[in-house]
Parts: sequence; structure tokens; C-alpha cells
Amino acid sequence: MKIAVYSGNIPSTTFIENLIEGLCNSGFEILLFGKQTQNVSYSGNVKAYPTPVNNLKLVFFVIKESVKLFFKDSKLFFKFHKTVREKNKSLKSFFKNAGVLLPVLNNKPDIFHIQWAKTVEMYPELFELFDCKVALSLRGAHINYSPLLDKNLAEAYRKNFPSIDGFHAVSNAIAAEAMKYGADEKKIKVIHSSVKDELFEKYAELFRGDTKLEIISVGRFHWKKGYHYALDAMKILADKGISFNYTIVAQGVIPEEILFLLDEYRLGEKVRIIQGLKHEELIMKLQSSHLLLLPSVEEGIANVVLEAMAVGVPVITTDCGGMSEVVEDNNNGYTVSVRDPETIAAKVIQFIGTEFNAKKDLALKGKQTIEKEFTREKQIREFTDFYESILKNN
Amino acid sequence: MRIGIVLPEVPGYSETFFNSKIKGLQESGHYIIVFSNKKARNKFSYEVKSSYPVFEKKSFKQSGLFAVVLIKTFIKNPAITVNLIRLESKTGKSFSESLKSVYINSHILSGKLDRIHFGFTTMILKRENVAKAIGAKMSISFRGYDINVFPLKNKDCYKNLWRKVDKVHTISDYLYRKALSLGLPKEVEFQKITPAIDISSFKVKDEIGKINKKIKILTVGRLNWIKDYETSISAMKILNERGIDFTYNIIGEGAELERLTFAVYQSGLQDKVNFLGKKEHKEINEYMRESDIYLQPSMQEGFCVSVLEAQATGLQCIVSDAEGLKENVIDGVTGWVVKRRSPEKFAEKITEVINLPDHKRKETAMNARKRVETEFTIEGQKKKFNKFFTE
Repeated sequence: MKIAVYSGNIPSTTFIENLIEGLCNSGFEILLFGKQTQNVSYSGNVKAYPTPVNNLKLVFFVIKESVKLFFKDSKLFFKFHKTVREKNKSLKSFFKNAGVLLPVLNNKPDIFHIQWAKTVEMYPELFELFDCKVALSLRGAHINYSPLLDKNLAEAYRKNFPSIDGFHAVSNAIAAEAMKYGADEKKIKVIHSSVKDELFEKYAELFRGDTKLEIISVGRFHWKKGYHYALDAMKILADKGISFNYTIVAQGVIPEEILFLLDEYRLGEKVRIIQGLKHEELIMKLQSSHLLLLPSVEEGIANVVLEAMAVGVPVITTDCGGMSEVVEDNNNGYTVSVRDPETIAAKVIQFIGTEFNAKKDLALKGKQTIEKEFTREKQIREFTDFYESILKNN
Repeated sequence: MRIGIVLPEVPGYSETFFNSKIKGLQESGHYIIVFSNKKARNKFSYEVKSSYPVFEKKSFKQSGLFAVVLIKTFIKNPAITVNLIRLESKTGKSFSESLKSVYINSHILSGKLDRIHFGFTTMILKRENVAKAIGAKMSISFRGYDINVFPLKNKDCYKNLWRKVDKVHTISDYLYRKALSLGLPKEVEFQKITPAIDISSFKVKDEIGKINKKIKILTVGRLNWIKDYETSISAMKILNERGIDFTYNIIGEGAELERLTFAVYQSGLQDKVNFLGKKEHKEINEYMRESDIYLQPSMQEGFCVSVLEAQATGLQCIVSDAEGLKENVIDGVTGWVVKRRSPEKFAEKITEVINLPDHKRKETAMNARKRVETEFTIEGQKKKFNKFFTE
């Protein structure tokens, strides 16, 4: 089975690259389309068909691919030409559009899998041009908030969702959101993300530390990560005289808002910001913390929570997006409502007061949840079923 | 006296603060030149000089212009130019950096000024030595962003500046205290002049003290994190859960629209909270007249003119305890002050105000209007500015 993965860029984000690797290992033939941003070599069954960014190269590319298509399937070539000419008034947009479509037509995948909903509008011609099934992933912001403000995007979803053959939702919560834009419930399959198997081997007994409570959060600086609420909670803890360190592992410029709150709350020494870490270092850092805190207001399912649980770190997470599909309060971790710093602080205090064995039990249950529900093997099996059902259904 | 005022751009018609200040100074016989970073299109009652452009990329055009401007400036004002280069080198700048300073300040150097005033503290960066070079006294205005936010990103940014300033204008006691904590020496003279509003252009609402059955709540201001609309939206969620019927209008535009739209959606308030975008001065007054309660949930404020306008219109003002706002509203007298970043406290206070008898609300609104009429008038502000520049 030939699966085309379109995520805009080659290489893509870590979790999509992981997915590609997994699918390839279980016998799928993977074709990658999009702009090449870095040089990468894929092995075995993965082939990349990048579209050039440079204008001159793009023109040559379109000519070359057009000739190829003409000799392969002249009927399709004329059909393609007519459609794309009608859609694009300017020559520049014609070339851009053609540059994206041609390699797909030349390589005819069985399923064209669009990773980001926002790009759904780029490919409606595909549905008409040749018989290719289209799958769409429903992830994070693209479904949860972008279309709230961007009415054109919401309209594009309503227009295009009915012609999608199958939806992959990263959580039940996001599936429900997508149905508001006309995604057919019967065509949606919830496939949770996964953690790498080797993480389970790193599972370690609870971090004892010495005296100070170590709390950690991981994720880029963005309002949806809710760090401002986390700092509110830290201020409450500090006012109660609780001794702790709070570490934020993030990337990029520290936003004004965060700098302001740190100054305002005089949290200076208690809060540390670390600029990015390699994955292995991150896992070590997680394991030398007592608690992982996810203060987000929006998520699909945050991978860092899955990873922390897999390696035995207790988590406090908001119930945003699909998080409560992973964490059950007081069972395998702790959950709090979004935008509620008081409760975050209360949970931290509850954690401090919990007996060591009970904490250990909670961390163990966390690991068991991930082992049962969020393994690579299960994810790939579900994707296989997903693709097969799409092909079968028509 | 020849007074130069340095601003990012020439003040628009709605910027009463600068316009009335300039007018007042002209009325007392001073000659005013406004130095702006942008080219002005309209005619003004005062002289306007704009700086030469600094292009993003290095280009032939830039180098040519640079050379021409330097030569021109030197021929016109040889002594001042040499002075500036010397002063810049003394503060440790390289020769080419000193030349750059001549270029970016050349529009100011020929003004024959007795006094040079920077309308924003951040405007002075890279211009610290200009006043001394031309032999003028130097003064600055503190604005919220200058003191509250900019130094967080740029540690010690004002270190070279403080010793060179002759006089400081602050819009609130709080900003002055904060500047002291940032290293402003106590010896530097300062004067507090709060913003003022033209009360005649703010029509009071009808039937002060009465409120709509469906409560109308309003906030005006840029959609910026420091305004903390997430807190007021969370407060609305609490009100909604308690069965209070209301609409909440937010006037203003800005970078946080997506974030706030999501907060409204997540709180299930799409039917109750409206983002109205930017509105003209007159329309704002109309919205205020139709509203019952004005909220200002800001994390921090220098002073906040919108709250003055709301008080002048006769609204029930509930503001956060951001330092500047505590000076703007007298808690329990002209409005109410509640803990910042606390949706619960805002919701409680709104409920409390809704449950007050009409005459109580009327009393508060009248107190507020009266205070604005006496303490925040344009006339008073003009006088204070004259004093600021002449004494």
C-alpha cells in the first residue's frame, strides 16, 4: 500500500517523523511531499519527492514533471492542465500549484494523508483528478482554535471535510471539535500518539531529591501552554512558605508577559528557564524532578506527559483537549481545570502530603497506562486498520 | 524659550495628552518643535522635523545619505557635531558608532533648543548625549511600558541615562517609585502630571446609577497581555455560572485576539462576550453611555486614560489593584479596586455593585465625575506642564 504523507515540510515534526518510521517498518510504502527544508535521507520504503522553493528551479521541476505525466498518462495530463489553469489566474500561482500536485499525480499513492488540517484547501483538485483516497489528521490548534477567529478557514473546513475519506483524531476531544465543522463521526478514528519503547526501560523509582520540591514544565513559549497560570500557582505556593524550584524547559525568546510575572511575583531564584534540551537530557531532567506540570489551556494530547508517565514521573495536568483521556485524577496522576492556578497549587500541596508509597503507586499506574494505551505498536496497528478501512469502504 | 519634544510620531488628533500640552506651551509664548521618527503629512501649528531614515538593510542609498547628512550637519553646526562625537566617545562608543549618533540625531542638532523633552523614556536611548551636546536642559516622561516592561527585556537600559536627566515627568506616583528602584537618583527633580481628559467631549450617561436588567459591561484598550482580559473573561464565566444576565463588550484591537477568542469559546461565552475592534473617540463615548459597569483588569498600568473617561461618563468602575489604577480610582469612593489576576474577586465585586441600590451607585458615579472635573482637567494639565518646563 502506497501512503503519501503531506505535512508541508520535509523533514516534518518529530511526531510525524516517528509515525513515518513506524509505518515504514510495518511494510507500508511511504511517499513524502512538500518543501524540503533540510537535507535528510530516508531508508528503505520511504521516498521523498520535494518541491523546489527557488522560482527558477520550480519552473524546471514543473516542466520535467509535466513531461513525465504526459508520457505516463496523457489523459490525466490534459485533465490536470485544464483544472490547474482554471483555478490559477496568475502564472506564478499556476507554477506553485502545479509544483505541488504533479509529483503526487506521477506517483499515484493509494492514500493521500494530509497531516495539518489548515492545508486541506491546497488539494481539492486531487479528489477530482484521480481516484485517490484522502485522509486528514486532526491535531491541536488547527481544529481547537484557529477556525474560531479565521472564518475563512472554518468555511474551508465545512466545504472540504465532507469529501475526506477518513479522519485521524489525536484524541476523542478533538474528534468532537472537528464534528462541528462537518467531519462525519463514522469516518473518524481516534488514534492516540505513542512513546518509544525504549522509554519504558528507563522507568525509574520515584525521585527522592533532598529537601526541595522540584517541579518541571516542558514546552515552547506560547500562550496556549499557560505558563502564566503556572507562575500564578508558584506565587501561591511561595506565599504559603512552601520550598520549591520550578523549571521551565522551553525554546525561544522569553515572552514579556513571563518576564513581567517573574519580576512582579519576585520568583527570581525559585524559577529557572532552560533553553531547550536534547531528548535524552530531557528525560534525565524529568527524572530528577518530583512532578511534571502541564498548565496548558489547549493541547491535542501533550507528548511530554506521556513520556513523563512512561519513565515514572508523577504528573499534574490541566484537563484541556484530550489530556483527561490519559490522566485520571488521583489514580495515575492529577488533573485540574484549565485557567485555575489555585487548584494547581492545591494539588502540589496534596502531592507533598502524600505518603511515599502512595506516590510510588501513582507513578507505577501512570507507566502502566502508557504501556497499555500509548505504545508505538498499538499506534501503528491502529493506523494500519485506519488505512485499510478507508480503502475498503469505497 | 525654544522647546523640542521628541516623539515616535507626530501626535494624532485624538492624542489629547500631547496636543493640549503643546498648545498650552505655545499659549505661554514658547516656540515648539516636534521631532518625529516618521515623516508627517499634515500641517501643524508647530514646527515638525523628522529624522533621516534608517534602512533595514545596508545599501548604497543608505551609505550615500549617511555621508551627505554628516557633511551637511557638520557644515551647519560644526561645534555641536564635534561635541556630540566627543561625548559619545567618552561613553565608550567607537568612532563609527559616534558618527551614527550624529546621523540619527542630526534633525535635533540644529534646533537651537533651550530645552529638549523626550515624550517616552525609550525614545532617549541612543540620544543620551544630545542635550549636552547642544547645551540644552533635558527632561523625560515616564510611560507605563517604558518603566514596567522595557527594562525587563533590557537590563540596565537606563543606566547611562539617569545621571544626565535634569527633570522627570511621571504620570503616577507608582511609576516614579518604580523608576527609583531602577536606579533613578533621588536628587533628580520630578513632577507628577496625570493624564487629563477634555470633559466637555465626554457626555454623561442618562440616569446615572440605574442599571440595565441585562447588565452591560465594557472594557476599552489594546488586546495586549498586560491588559489581562483573560481574567475578566474568567470572571464572566463565574457570573454566567451564577445565573447573572449580562453582555461584555471589549473595544480595541491587538495581537491577542486569537488567544482571547479561544478563552471566550472555552468558557462557553460566545453569546455574551463581543470583540468590537477599534472604535473612534465619539463611538467609545456612546458605548460607555450605554454600559453599566466598566472593567479594567490590567496586570499593570501607568495610569490609564480609559478609566478616567469611564468615570467621566458616570459608569461604575471596577479596576484591578495595578499600581497606576489605584491612583486613578479611589476604592469605595469613585469606584472599586480588586485584586489583580483574580477572576473570583472581580465576579464578586460585579455582583456586589449590581445589588447596590440605585442611589448608592449614583453617589459613586457622581463622586467619580466630580473628581475628574476637578483633578484631571485639560486646563490644570496645561498649567502643570508650563510649570514643568519653566521652573
